[in-house]
Amino acid sequence: MIHALQRAVEGDSYHLYKRYAEAVYAQPPVNLRDLMRFKSKNGAVPLDEVESITDIRRRLVAPGISLGALSPEAHETLSIAMNRIGAKSDSGEGGEDPSRFRPRPNGDNASSAIKQVASGRFGVTAEYLNNCREIEIKIAQGAKPGEGGQLPGIKVNGLIARLRHSTPGVTLISPPPHHDIYSIEDLAQLIYDLKQINPEARVCVKLVASTGIGTIAAGVAKAKADTILISGHGGGTGASPQTSIKYAGIPWEMGLSEVHQVLTLNRLRHSVTLRTDGGIKTGRDVVIAAMLGAEEFGLGTASLVAIGCIMVRQCHSNTCPVGVCTQDEVLRAKFEGTPERVVNLFSFVAEEVREILAELGARSLEEIVGRTDLLAQVSRGDPSLDDLDLNPILVRADSGGYPVFNTVEGRNEVPETLDAQIIKDAKPVFELGEKMQFTYNISNTQRAIGTKLSSKLVRKYGMSGLQPGHITVRLRGSAGQSLGAFAVQGLKIEVFGDANDYVGKGLSGGTITVRPMTAASFASNENTIIGNTVLYGATAGKLFAAGQAGERFAVRNCGAEAVVEGCGSNACEYMTGGTVVILGAVGDNFGAGMTGGMAFVYDADGTFAHRVNPEAVIHQRVETEYWEDVLRRLVTEHVRETQSRYAERMLMDWQREMPKFWQIVPKEMIARLPQPLTLGAREQRA
Amino acid sequence: MTTDRMLKFVGTAKRMPTKRPADERAGDFGEIYDEFDAAAAGEQAARCSQCGVPFCQVHCPLHNNIPDWLMLTAEGRLEEAYEVASATNNFPEICGRICPQDRLCEGNCVIEKGFESVTIGSVEKYITETAFANGWVKPVVPPRERPETVGVIGGGPAGLAAAEQLRKRGYQVHVYDRYDRMGGLMIYGIPNFKLEKDVVERRSALLADGGVVYHPNTEIGVTVTLEELRARHDAVLIATGVYKARDIMCPGVGLDGIYPALDYLTASNRKGLGDAVPAFDDGTLDAAGKRVVVIGGGDTAMDCVRTAVRQGAVSVTCLYRRDRANMPGSQREVANAEDEGVDFQWLSAPEAFIGDGRVAGVRCHRVRLGVPDATGRQTPQPVEDSSYVVDCDMAITALGFDPEDLPVMFDAKGLEVSRWGTLRIDFRTMMTSLDGVFAAGDIVRGASLVVWAVRDGRDVADRIHDHLAAKAAGRARDAA
Repeated sequence: MIHALQRAVEGDSYHLYKRYAEAVYAQPPVNLRDLMRFKSKNGAVPLDEVESITDIRRRLVAPGISLGALSPEAHETLSIAMNRIGAKSDSGEGGEDPSRFRPRPNGDNASSAIKQVASGRFGVTAEYLNNCREIEIKIAQGAKPGEGGQLPGIKVNGLIARLRHSTPGVTLISPPPHHDIYSIEDLAQLIYDLKQINPEARVCVKLVASTGIGTIAAGVAKAKADTILISGHGGGTGASPQTSIKYAGIPWEMGLSEVHQVLTLNRLRHSVTLRTDGGIKTGRDVVIAAMLGAEEFGLGTASLVAIGCIMVRQCHSNTCPVGVCTQDEVLRAKFEGTPERVVNLFSFVAEEVREILAELGARSLEEIVGRTDLLAQVSRGDPSLDDLDLNPILVRADSGGYPVFNTVEGRNEVPETLDAQIIKDAKPVFELGEKMQFTYNISNTQRAIGTKLSSKLVRKYGMSGLQPGHITVRLRGSAGQSLGAFAVQGLKIEVFGDANDYVGKGLSGGTITVRPMTAASFASNENTIIGNTVLYGATAGKLFAAGQAGERFAVRNCGAEAVVEGCGSNACEYMTGGTVVILGAVGDNFGAGMTGGMAFVYDADGTFAHRVNPEAVIHQRVETEYWEDVLRRLVTEHVRETQSRYAERMLMDWQREMPKFWQIVPKEMIARLPQPLTLGAREQRA
Repeated sequence: MTTDRMLKFVGTAKRMPTKRPADERAGDFGEIYDEFDAAAAGEQAARCSQCGVPFCQVHCPLHNNIPDWLMLTAEGRLEEAYEVASATNNFPEICGRICPQDRLCEGNCVIEKGFESVTIGSVEKYITETAFANGWVKPVVPPRERPETVGVIGGGPAGLAAAEQLRKRGYQVHVYDRYDRMGGLMIYGIPNFKLEKDVVERRSALLADGGVVYHPNTEIGVTVTLEELRARHDAVLIATGVYKARDIMCPGVGLDGIYPALDYLTASNRKGLGDAVPAFDDGTLDAAGKRVVVIGGGDTAMDCVRTAVRQGAVSVTCLYRRDRANMPGSQREVANAEDEGVDFQWLSAPEAFIGDGRVAGVRCHRVRLGVPDATGRQTPQPVEDSSYVVDCDMAITALGFDPEDLPVMFDAKGLEVSRWGTLRIDFRTMMTSLDGVFAAGDIVRGASLVVWAVRDGRDVADRIHDHLAAKAAGRARDAA
C-alpha cells in the first residue's frame, strides 16, 4: 500500500492512485468511517460542474510535524509544495529557519503558512509569528494527548539547536501543559496576544478528539479562535512512546461530530472554521469528514509517504533510512522527495473528492459540510461492528437558520489596546527611524502592551535592526496581562507600578523593567510586583523587576536574562537558555527539567536545598571569578534599571552577600559551559 | 522494545560471511559461504532497523518474524532466537542457505535503499546451526497421540513440512517417496555447494526420531496404489513436486549428449552421497574435460553450470534468451557463477543442435526484447541473420519443469488437474477433487521455491487437521 501510493505520486498517475485508494477501502474495517457509506439524495451532476481541484486543494493541510523530527529537506519540501497549490503547511513546534521566510530565486516559498505555538514554545519569536497566515496553538496531539513533543538529543544538531534556542545534543521535552494556559480565559489571552503580534494571522486551536470536546470547543470559539482543529487518534507521531500510545485520543469522527453539533446548537458554528486530521488518506475520508462538519482537512502520514516515508517507525532514533525523519547528514542525502510528489498526492485526493461530489450531486465541498443525512451506517457482517449505534454521530443539530460553515471573512477581531495609540504616536519611528520616548498612564485592562508595536517593528526592522532602547515606553500604573509579550529588540518598556501575569511572554529581544511607584512605602523585595508565568518561552531580551515574581517564573526561558527579588514555585522549569538571578526566596520545585541556561539564587536563610528539584540540575556556591562577574554584572544592571534599594545594599556588602548565592546549572550543561564551573581540582558535586 | 544495540546500519557496513575464493571453491562441492561467528552474527543482526512495517516479513512466504529474531541474535539470546525462527519455519537452516533472499526478505529490507540489506539469510543459518550445536533442536514430541493416520506422498520440502506439522498435533504420519532418500529436490536437485546433504539428512532423521514413518522406494501406482493409500489412511497428501522437464523443440534434440538438467544434477548429487551411479562413472553425465552448454536462466540452470565447473569442464556457457535484468533466478547465484568462470551469453536462443550422432554444437540466434506483455515481462524476438554456433560436447537443458501426468500415473481418474497439469484444489480446504486427498507444493502451484513449498506444507497440515477434526466431531455426534 505504501509503495502503491509512492508509485502513484512519483509517476503522476491518478490511475495508480485509484488503485491505492481501492486497496485502502478493501482493508478490514478499523475506522468508524469504514462503517459508513454515502447516501445520494439528488441525482449526480456532471463532473465539470464541481468546483475545481485548485479550490478543493486549498482546503487541504499538511499538518504540524516539526523541523527537528523531520529533516530540513523533508520539511521544506512539504512547505514548498503546499505553498505552490495555495494550501497550507504547518511548521510544527520548533521554529523555522528565518532564511525560509523569503521566497527562493526560483519562486518557491519554503515558509510554512501555519506557524505552530506549542507548549515548549521552541523557536517562537516575533519574527516567526509574523511570517505566516495562521498561527496554531497546539493544545494536544492525537498520538499523545496530555504530553508535549519530545526530541531526543541525538537529533538536536547545530541547526535545530539554533532554531530552538537550545544546546546541541541535549534532549528537548515540551512540557505537557502550556504554562500560560490554566483556564479558558488564559487561552483567550494567548489568542489575544497572538492576534496582537500578528495583526493579520488567523488563530487556530488544535484539540484532540475526546469525550466532552464539544464544550471545550465552544469555549475556544468564544475565546475568538478562528479555526478549531480536531485531531483524531489515527495519525500522529511514528515514534510516540509506548506508554503514550495507550492513551491516544478517540477517532476524529466522534470528536468532530460532537464539536460540530455543540457549536451549531450554540450558534457559534458560523464564526469558526473546523479542521480535522488523524489518518485521513483518501478523498473518501475527506468527504466523510466534511459531512461530519469539517471544512479543512489535514493529511500528515500520507504526505510523508508521498515524499518517501516507508513507515520504519524509528523516527526517534535518527536513523530514518530514507532521510525523511533524521538529522544525520548521510541519511539526509538519501532523501528523494520532491514538491511535485506532494502536489500530486493532494491533487489526486482533490480529484477523488470531486468525483464523489459529482456522484452525490454536490457542486462544492461547502455544500456538504455537516450533511450527515448523506451518510448511512452499513453492515460489515460482524455483530461487534453492527451493534455500534452511529446515530449520535450522524444526528444533525438544529442550526436555527445560521450557516453551518465559517462565514467570517478574515478573522475574528479582538479589541485594540494601548498599542493603537503608541503606533499612532510613533509615526516618526517608522517613517524616519527616529529614536523616541513615550509616557502613558495605564490600567490593568490594557493587555499585551507593546506587542502590536513589536509586530510593526519586526516587520520593518527585523529582529536586530534596532539598537536596544530605540523606543522607550514609560508606563505608570498597573499593566494588564501579557505586558511586553514578544517584545523585540529596540523596544524598552519601563513600568512604574506593577504588572499582571505573563510579563515578557515569548520575549524576543526587548527590555522590560518594573519597579514600584516612587512613592511606595514597602520594601521592594517583600512585594510581589509581577504576576505568574513571566518570561514563558522567552528567546532573548532582558527583564528587571524590583520585587517578587509569581509562580512559574521563567519557565521555558531559552535566552532572556532576568533579575527579580524572589519568586513562587516551579521557577525556571524546563529552561533551556538564558540567565536568571533571583535575589530572594524561591518556591518549591525549582529548576525541574531544566536542561540549559543558568540561575543564581540568593539564599538568606539556607533553605534553598529543600526547594530545588535536583533531578536535572546541580547547585553549588559561585566558585570562579568568571561566574561571579556574570552575577555581579546582572545585579549591577538591575540596580541601574530599577533603582532597587534592596539590591543596592547587596552590592555594597558584596563580599559578605556573595557567598549566600547558589549557582544552579543543568547537569547536561556542565561539560558544555564556556568556562569551568569549579576551581582547579575540586570534584564536581554531580 | 528496541534496545541501544539495534539500528546500527548507519555505521556498520553489510558484511556477508566469508565466501571462499572462486578458484578454490570451484574445485570441490563444499558450501561456498562460511558461517558467521557469534560476534559477526550479532553485529550484522544489529544492523536491523526494527522498522514499523517490516517488508522482510511481509515478503517472506512464511512471514518469518525476522526483526524479532534479529534483535534476539544481536542481544545474544540465541535459544530464544531459534525458537522464534523455528516457530514459523520447519527448516530454517535450509531456507537460510538456499532462499533467494535478494528477491524476498533482503531485497525488500527498508535499509536496502542505500545501505544494503541486513544479511538475514546468513543470520538465520547461524541461529539454526548454533541451535543444532547446542542441542536445542529436538525431535517432535506431540502432547498426545491421535489415532488418525495421514499418508504423505512425496518427501520433499512440502511433504516433510506437512509431516512435521501434523506430527506436532499427534497424527500418525507416513511419508512415501519413490527415491531411496527423503528430501526430494533438496537432496537430489540442489547441489552441495549450496546445500550440503548432511543438512537435509539431519532434518529427515530428526523427523523420523519424532515418529514420522518413512516408506522410501515406494512409487504410487506401481508399488502401491492411491486407492490403497486412501484406504490405509484417514487423509492423504499429494506433494510430489513437478519433475517433467520442459522439452526444447528444435532440430537435433535427439542427438546424444543432450540431457535434462535434473538427470544431470541427480547423478552428481548421488555421486556426492557416495552412491554408485553407472551413468556418471562411464562418463555420460560427467562434465569433466568437456565443453558444456547450459540452456536456461533459472536457478536450476545456475546449479547446472556451477556443477559443471566443479566437475572439471573445459568451458561452461550459459545461453539465456533474455538479459540479465530479466532473469528469473537469483542475481546472487548469477554473480557466483560468473566468479567461477561461467560464460553467460545473454539474449541468445538455441535454434538447433548440430552434430553427427553426438552433439557438437548449438546454433543460436540473437534476441532483442520487445514490448512487455501482460505480465510486464518483455517478449523476446529473434534478430534476423544473427545465427552463430557455440561448440560443445555436452548440452544441458534447464527450461523449467512441468507436472507429470498424475491421474494416469496414480490411476486416479477422479483427480482433476488444471490446464497446466497441476492438481486442482479447493483453495479454502486445499482438498483435491477426491475426498480426503489433499495437495500442496509445486504440484499445485507449479515449479517454485523451497520456501513456498514449506509454506504450502504448513498450510495444508492445518487444513488436514481441520478436516480430520471435523470428521472426528461428526463421529462423536453420531455415537451420542
